[in-house]
Amino acid sequence: MIDPSLMTDLARLDFAWITSMHILYPPLTIGLATFLFFSEWRWLKTNDDEWYRLTRFFEKLFIINFGAGVATGITMEMSFGILFAPFSQAAGPFFGNILGYETITAFMYEAGFIGLMIFGWGKISKKMHLFATFNVALSSMLSAMWILVANSWMQTPTGVRLEKGLYVVDNWTHAIFNPNFLTAFPHMLIACFEIGLFFVASISAWMIYKNRHAKMFMHTLTASIMALVIVAPLQVYMGDTLGRTVAKYDPAALAAMEGHWHTYNADGTPNTSWNVIAWPNEEKGTNDFQIAIPHVLSLLEDHKWVSTVPGLDQFKKADRPPVVVPFYSFRIMAAAGAALMLVAFWALYLRLRGQFTVEKLQSRPWFLRVVILSAILPYLAVWTGWWTREVARQPWLINGLMRTSEGVSQMSIGAEIVWFIGFMLFDILVWFGAWYFFSKVIRKGPDMNTDVIHGVTPEPMHLGDMPHEEVAEGKPLFERPTL
Amino acid sequence: MQHVMDFTNGDHWITLVWWVLIGIFVVIYIILDGSDLGAGIYSLFHSDSKEKGAIMASMAGTWDANETWLVIVGGALFGTFPMVYGSVFHYLMIPLMFVLWGIILRAVSLEFHHYSKTSRKYWDWGFGIGSLMVAFFAGVSLGAFLQGFPMTKGEVPTFGGSYLEFLSPFSLWTGVTATIAASLAGGVYIRARFDRNSDTYHKALKWTNLMFYLALVAILSTVIWTFVQFPWAKSKWAGPYWWFFVLSGAVVLFATWSMRRASHDKRDVAAMVWLAIIVFINFAIMMITIFPWFVPNTITIFDAANPSNSTGAFTYSMLFFIPVMLSYNFYQAWVFRARLGKLAGYGDHD
Repeated sequence: MIDPSLMTDLARLDFAWITSMHILYPPLTIGLATFLFFSEWRWLKTNDDEWYRLTRFFEKLFIINFGAGVATGITMEMSFGILFAPFSQAAGPFFGNILGYETITAFMYEAGFIGLMIFGWGKISKKMHLFATFNVALSSMLSAMWILVANSWMQTPTGVRLEKGLYVVDNWTHAIFNPNFLTAFPHMLIACFEIGLFFVASISAWMIYKNRHAKMFMHTLTASIMALVIVAPLQVYMGDTLGRTVAKYDPAALAAMEGHWHTYNADGTPNTSWNVIAWPNEEKGTNDFQIAIPHVLSLLEDHKWVSTVPGLDQFKKADRPPVVVPFYSFRIMAAAGAALMLVAFWALYLRLRGQFTVEKLQSRPWFLRVVILSAILPYLAVWTGWWTREVARQPWLINGLMRTSEGVSQMSIGAEIVWFIGFMLFDILVWFGAWYFFSKVIRKGPDMNTDVIHGVTPEPMHLGDMPHEEVAEGKPLFERPTL
Repeated sequence: MQHVMDFTNGDHWITLVWWVLIGIFVVIYIILDGSDLGAGIYSLFHSDSKEKGAIMASMAGTWDANETWLVIVGGALFGTFPMVYGSVFHYLMIPLMFVLWGIILRAVSLEFHHYSKTSRKYWDWGFGIGSLMVAFFAGVSLGAFLQGFPMTKGEVPTFGGSYLEFLSPFSLWTGVTATIAASLAGGVYIRARFDRNSDTYHKALKWTNLMFYLALVAILSTVIWTFVQFPWAKSKWAGPYWWFFVLSGAVVLFATWSMRRASHDKRDVAAMVWLAIIVFINFAIMMITIFPWFVPNTITIFDAANPSNSTGAFTYSMLFFIPVMLSYNFYQAWVFRARLGKLAGYGDHD
């Protein structure tokens, strides 16, 4: 417990819960939108109906995911003010502006083009529809960019000065392009692509495994997993780059992530040991137990055989982040990233040996099974990555400037607990709903019967032109694409 | 502290424009989502599951688009008035919590209803209760907002009361008023959206008539209560510009009469438009009455604004983005123009 105040810790928990339940959706929105743009482009390019069917199929999953993201996102948007009022006010001149940009330039932009993408089939030309999908992908990335600007600024708050209790912006360029943002945004963006690609790969693998439209789903399996051959190692590289950014600008966070207490060994030489596994003891300021490998830490952080990496002993006890969560979250994230890379390499190996065909994959199904299950790992990595990032910044809310205990709303403990229980129920309901519909759509499979929509198609304009049953059953003339 | 507007100050003008814009975003949200919420409340009192399903289906393509305005309110408020965003949202923690739960419950129920069979009746209830929660607690929030709240003393003053500060007879009453007003909007909406030969169309008439008189009583009593309880309202309404408020009141009465006539003549879409006009004018009167306060007796618009370099940056960026946004919104409206024509028309549900 780094902060004795129960109120602050409950506010942390409340916010951690709603953010963790929100971050499940937007990365997939970004990754899948980008993939939809690719698959729709393939359709236009090859004129192969299978790409159209695939696009429409994954679009349904996209819509469910987007809805869940909005439902949990509205909560996020209000919660800064509710749970962290003094922070929202003090950081408002920068932080509030950035979130305002996110809403108006990215969210509105996205909502507009998603409408066009979902309801535009048959109403706009094929090229215009592709343009709409492109804008959905672009706007969702823009949204991620603003959110990462805001969050990274909390990690490395440059470009502001304190004036009458407010963090007034001195230099917009320095504040927006703060050091952490420059590496954290690419890391998160690639994570979004990785989630999207593994989501597509996993579902395609399941379809091939079950031998449903196997030939068709080979298109998406091949495309997604071959993209991952580049994306997955790139993510490992970006993770390393971000790690070194953190080492440079926030050594306390890095020391917590590595369970690195002592800057120097007992004999006065720099402590370069990297802990594979450890159990930290925050009271005593050391690990109760650890398995350490010398030189790995300095190699990781400085790319040198021996270098001084500041340990937690360089920081006052009150300024030290908790260690257990960052230490283990970081390791789980890194392991997940590495495992995903291996899956991608396995696919490349099979491809190079000419075994990446429906028959061969089906006859030796272990690869398919692994790909199906591996879709859970990017989610785990996103969760643990964010937990590492946010917990390792503690006890600061704005690194070095404002403590979490200073930025929290003065709330009653009871209200915070009610909040937590309520959002636990409702967010789980949304989660359950999203997965229920995912599985429903996946089980049903792609729609192979409806005519392919080529550009603008005339449709009935009056009620009398509609098929009679539809009107009689009180069914909507317009609804979201049926699942 | 700059309590009054300085008409020679450019920053004040920009701040004022943002206050008006946020007001417009709020009233757009109230008008658009009010009907959906009211239709949800209506469904609570009509037990036929198919009828409920038809009501939900009628808003299938629009309810989430309507809700995006709420997100925009939050974003614009944080971007331009973080002082208000921080203090008011903290003050309204409990009612906003219920609003958020209501929104989530309604969203999930709307989606689940279509695809469930055995559990359908629970989602019907979820839809109705979620709608009721949002309408009632949004009304409570508005009433509590008008009351104002205690601020801490310090460099950056923030909300300094207890978590039940929002609770008062007045805020509860505005919650009830909002629920009734939404119910009226819901009835008018159902009348406009359902086939004239359908059962629902006729049932909605009774509902609309009842809600109309209830809303009349509720809103008039809220106005009187506001006049009696809040000096800031009394001084405006009985001040040198009293004729403006009398005139606006007369316009509202005319609009109300026109709405009733449209409803009576089965010009249901016109009735919906008149109701929207009434809501818009009432909201505008409220904002004019509050001016120059952002939150009455608590913080003024000009004290609440961001430092001028932030507001300026925000404004310049929006000057660039708003034309872009308008152009694709127009394009979208043009693409879906046929959809508007088809909005009417849900048949009988058996």
